[in-house]
Amino acid sequence: MRFSGFRVIKEALTGYKGWGPLWRNPEPQPSYDYIIVGGGGHGLATAYHLAKVFGGKRIAVLERGWLGQGNIGRNTTIIRSNYLLPGNEPFYEFSMKLWENMEQEFNFNAMVSQRGILNLIHTDGQRDAYRRRGNAMRFAGADSELLDHEQVRAMYPWLNFENARFPIKGGLMQRRAGTARHDGVAWGYARGADLLGVDLIQNCEVTGFRIENGKVLGVETSRGYIGAGKVGVAVAGMSGKVMAKAGMRLPIETHVLQAFVSEGLKPFIDGVITFGAGHFYVSQSDKGGLVFGGDIDGYNSYAQRGNLPVIEDVAEGGMALMPAIGRARLLRAWGGIMDMSMDGSPIIDRTPIEGLYLNAGWCYGGFKATPASGYAFAHLLATDRPHETARFMRLDRFERGYVIDEKGVGAQPNLH
Amino acid sequence: MLIPHPLLGLRDAQEFTYLGDASLIHRPDGMAENAAETFFDYVYLRDNPAGVHRELWFHEQGDRSWLVVTRDTTTHEILGAELARDVALAAKGGAQ
Amino acid sequence: MTDLAPMTALGGSLARAQSFGALAIAENADLALASLAQRRGAAQPVPMGLALPGPGLWHAGNGMAAFWTGPGQWMIEAPGRAAEDFAGAVKQAAPECSVTEQTDAFVAFEIASSAGAAPILSLLAKLVNIDAAGFGPGSATRTGLEHMSVFVIRRAEDRLAVIGMRSAAGSIWHALESAAARLQGE
Repeated sequence: MRFSGFRVIKEALTGYKGWGPLWRNPEPQPSYDYIIVGGGGHGLATAYHLAKVFGGKRIAVLERGWLGQGNIGRNTTIIRSNYLLPGNEPFYEFSMKLWENMEQEFNFNAMVSQRGILNLIHTDGQRDAYRRRGNAMRFAGADSELLDHEQVRAMYPWLNFENARFPIKGGLMQRRAGTARHDGVAWGYARGADLLGVDLIQNCEVTGFRIENGKVLGVETSRGYIGAGKVGVAVAGMSGKVMAKAGMRLPIETHVLQAFVSEGLKPFIDGVITFGAGHFYVSQSDKGGLVFGGDIDGYNSYAQRGNLPVIEDVAEGGMALMPAIGRARLLRAWGGIMDMSMDGSPIIDRTPIEGLYLNAGWCYGGFKATPASGYAFAHLLATDRPHETARFMRLDRFERGYVIDEKGVGAQPNLH
Repeated sequence: MLIPHPLLGLRDAQEFTYLGDASLIHRPDGMAENAAETFFDYVYLRDNPAGVHRELWFHEQGDRSWLVVTRDTTTHEILGAELARDVALAAKGGAQ
Repeated sequence: MTDLAPMTALGGSLARAQSFGALAIAENADLALASLAQRRGAAQPVPMGLALPGPGLWHAGNGMAAFWTGPGQWMIEAPGRAAEDFAGAVKQAAPECSVTEQTDAFVAFEIASSAGAAPILSLLAKLVNIDAAGFGPGSATRTGLEHMSVFVIRRAEDRLAVIGMRSAAGSIWHALESAAARLQGE
């Protein structure tokens, strides 16, 4: 079944009788060549690319709940490639390019909208830092523009430019950045993988790994033992818990990040605005709701809900930047659990256990990485070599002293 | 969250800053033969449990005590708090 | 020679004072402050005959006062002695302790109610996340006030003091003034 405008019209005229489920609901086979643990964005993208690009056969995705129930189903939908360090930026730009072709490739509307992201500048020091970042982005083939005060004012005249503490002096703009429909991404990859023969197995929790002589043979699950040639784990905030079943401790803490949506308002924010100094960022969804967030709560948590002080902090940041939202009412708030790594950057690597691979440490920024994370993890699983853009994202980099610390705050996850 | 400070009673968690796993109290010997490995473990690896977690909180907007707070990371329920100084001294055999 | 004139933490030549209904807020520019830390294992001192209070408490006597700031640590206050070497006097009285001059590091605001405890409790509830009902006369604590670190002292049923960083004097005044003005409007 292919989606097209013609098909939508035809179904509308024939009572929508031709739509069916987007993927099968298969029983697990006794064994697979590849098992991906985690049916979120990264796991589904991995299975899709493994089958599509690397010719992988007999692939299964095991998901403890339903597909896309985790952070891919609850995030602030931002896609961007405005990183600084050479260990990160080429990877995120690779991801940006995959976003740009994703919908045509998997024939599903993910509502990728390149509406631009603006990082606000308040001081000369920040302008220098963003100029450097903008140049680093261009080195990796990404687009960047340094905007002055007047250019920002022309775009968003209602921002509080004269805030006493953080007056707006300009911004770093990436016009190719934007937003995407997060669920659509999960569903598109799931459908694409299913069409390529991947078994998407839901309600199947991995309860243990069968490991002999340092090699993984398969996984124990709530639906019985499943053998595997290779096992890739992509479970975000649950990484520590799952890898502990293989006897591993990770350079990761699990933290909670909250995000918020206001009631629907008439369109007034065209793109994404980040106010890093005030711990606030915002965009407006196509339905009109303001989608915004700030910092992580700052303490270890698996609770999928945060506490009020951070809500207050985010609201204060929002009011400092755009007093116009003062009367908007909050519609929804939620908390997701983040795999905060010790340097704030991800891990896509083999583990010391043969046949066991790890995709983790995405912190609060995993959504934008979804396509490249899946591609690079599939590359690693298929070839046993890291993808070129992910070659710095090694598990042993902490031990070797090659951390990728964008913020330069050291081994304290709640500061990244 | 309210943290039951051993000296000051229930205090708002906002007054505190968070460091992480209480095992950070036990800094390994930097002069030992295997210091590189033990420090890698100490600095970077965490148990990161889903459940009861002993962790360090600093009462920055308060009496500047470090506390070891026992908290359930799945519910945020706080099960107790001790002065980190007492915990550290007890680990050293109670010597002042 | 340059003509040097002293100014208060809020930048005036005189301490600022303003009334909001039953509440009067005054900058206390004459309060001398010295911190005192007991050395490990040493006996708790009684500087100049002043008994040092336990955790969470404030105690006045002999024209001075002290409040507990942490285990083995206190702040000693002396009204009207900001221009003297008060820390030197404390050090002389407690030579076995570490004493540091703090007068010029802080700003003190004295808040007085002309209508008993009720306005003080309302102001406390607006300003800080501490249990106002449990914060009776003789209580003192450090806490957060609009992200700033301050000491709050309940000097009496109808009197409160807020002592914060001198560099944040204007912001603390703004916070106190706004809260008191809103209470007046309620």
